[in-house]
Amino acid sequence: MKRYKRLLEIFYVMAKIGLFTFGGGWSIIAQMQNEFVDKRGWMDEEQVVDFMSLAKSFPGVMIINMSVFCGYAMEGVAGGVAAAVGLSLPALAAIAAVTFFYSSLRDNIYVAKVLNGVRSVVVPIIVSACLKLKKTAVKGRPAYVILAISFVVCAVTGLNKLILVLAALVAGLLIWKGEIGDDLS
Amino acid sequence: MTCLRLFLSFMKIGFCSFGGMTMIPVINDEVLRYGWMTAEEVMDIVAVAEMTPGSLGINCATFVGLRTAGMAGALCASLGVMMPSLTLSMAAAHFIFRLKDNPYLESAMRGVRPASMGMLMAAAVTLGITTYIPGRGIAWNLVGIAIVSGILLVKAKLSIPKTILIAAILGLLVG
Repeated sequence: MKRYKRLLEIFYVMAKIGLFTFGGGWSIIAQMQNEFVDKRGWMDEEQVVDFMSLAKSFPGVMIINMSVFCGYAMEGVAGGVAAAVGLSLPALAAIAAVTFFYSSLRDNIYVAKVLNGVRSVVVPIIVSACLKLKKTAVKGRPAYVILAISFVVCAVTGLNKLILVLAALVAGLLIWKGEIGDDLS
Repeated sequence: MTCLRLFLSFMKIGFCSFGGMTMIPVINDEVLRYGWMTAEEVMDIVAVAEMTPGSLGINCATFVGLRTAGMAGALCASLGVMMPSLTLSMAAAHFIFRLKDNPYLESAMRGVRPASMGMLMAAAVTLGITTYIPGRGIAWNLVGIAIVSGILLVKAKLSIPKTILIAAILGLLVG
């Protein structure tokens, strides 16, 4: 019974997040961190960071991948499905509505203005996620080097994210060699 | 029959792309092949996807599905585009959990985490350039909205949905 309630809550929270995901989906990171780590404690901050790059490097839609990873982390396969479907439902409803009124919405100046406002807030949301997750994600000096390389590669080239993630994975193995302690330089 | 074809087509689109704009050429190929839409209508999808929350992939699937086979089509196409996540990502999540306390996996993830942050920061920069410098010069009104909402978000700890709503209102006033 308890599990059933948690699944329902995952579904509901993901639907709420889905309603406010504009601009390429990166803002979902901040929202999931907020809802599942800060508010509910159902996930660790490390998991959010881990899943983020995996979600981006797997085929398919990044935010759906992210939902599946996080849903699985909380409630197994059923959690993954609940999260993915929850996230997609508002989009489905919104598209159905917009498609219906498309021709009148397309040329409406007020719609354009509202969208301008919404688009402007995406970058601050991503930056706030960076600020929050930085402490968890970047530990030790070698990590800053990886961060810098990854940033430049992503900003300047269109390299497939899968290659980047694999390279970072190998780098992590070579640098830390399975010796994990928190006493890092 | 159309529903099955929509499902299969969008499953293919899902497996062949990595989200966002990389989906457009694959979507183009599929929907033009079956005569579901014209090239012009595909560009309309991008516009619609921008107007609505959610990813381009799901939005496209819903839009094409609705046009060709109504609500059932929309559901089939969306489910199709979700298939890679429901199979590959689900399997990956499973393996990560089985190896959870493995020190080698933890080492590898210590390398992947900063790379994730790099990706996220790069996304902020790229998105920032297209948003705040659209064509001619800097759009100061949008930069203003970004600064106000950034302060609300970080300093006033306002929730994300509320911040988005305020940004929408600000957009209506000055956007």
